[in-house]
Amino acid sequence: MDHAEPRTFAAVLRAQQSMVFSIAYHFLRDRPAAEEVAQDVFLELHKRFEKFESDTHILFWLRKVASHRSIDYVRKRKLQAAVGLDDAPAPSVDGQPEDHFLNRRLQSLIGSLPEKPRMVMVLRYQEDMMPEEIASAMDMPVRTVKSHLQRSLAMLREKIDRSMGDVR
Amino acid sequence: MMDDFEKQIQDALARKEPSPFFEARVLGAVKRQARDRRASMRMWWATVAAALVIAIAGSAWQHQRSEQAREDAAGREAKARLELALRITSVKLQKISQKVEGI
Repeated sequence: MDHAEPRTFAAVLRAQQSMVFSIAYHFLRDRPAAEEVAQDVFLELHKRFEKFESDTHILFWLRKVASHRSIDYVRKRKLQAAVGLDDAPAPSVDGQPEDHFLNRRLQSLIGSLPEKPRMVMVLRYQEDMMPEEIASAMDMPVRTVKSHLQRSLAMLREKIDRSMGDVR
Repeated sequence: MMDDFEKQIQDALARKEPSPFFEARVLGAVKRQARDRRASMRMWWATVAAALVIAIAGSAWQHQRSEQAREDAAGREAKARLELALRITSVKLQKISQKVEGI
């Protein structure tokens, strides 16, 4: 975003909609629910838009609120993350078909993780956030974040290895 | 440093776009939210104004009532004084009349 221009809500919405939607989508694995959460996040942002001092502050706030709202959504609606193929339109398959299959399998496995480890994984690998940043956004100790990451990665590796073994 | 497996996860969790109408829907919801907020502010001010009018009218009515009561009390006192003065005058006139008759 150009810092010389005054910041507008519409510009922030346009620039960050895919980030906010994707955090909710990768966590909920439900497109309408993810759009509902993302809309709530932006409505909340609009209410306090004048209070933000920088784009960095907005980005941090959006990631934090999107992750908390997504977790709250699951808790309130008792929505179980769908394990298996979701109803989202299939992404374009640019690489090998095996990559596409592996992506879908990984998305399903991440979707089956408990709430907090799942959100930690989404923030780490979708947003490329460091454990310290995730800890700050999710209000949890850094060592808990690292532990969630290690356990989740180990679990995913094991399940992927096993399923690849089954395929072979 | 990320290994290949982590890069694969990163690939699986790549950002996705919301539906094409998402932005317009959010901007519409923002407008509705602002309109609702303005309406509720107007309602709040109307309630405050009505409460003020009621309080001022009540206070004026109360003031008028106490003024009326004070005027009534002053009237009653004046009437009592007048009656007393008339009674005294009557007694004096009676005494004068008796003296005149005795001459």
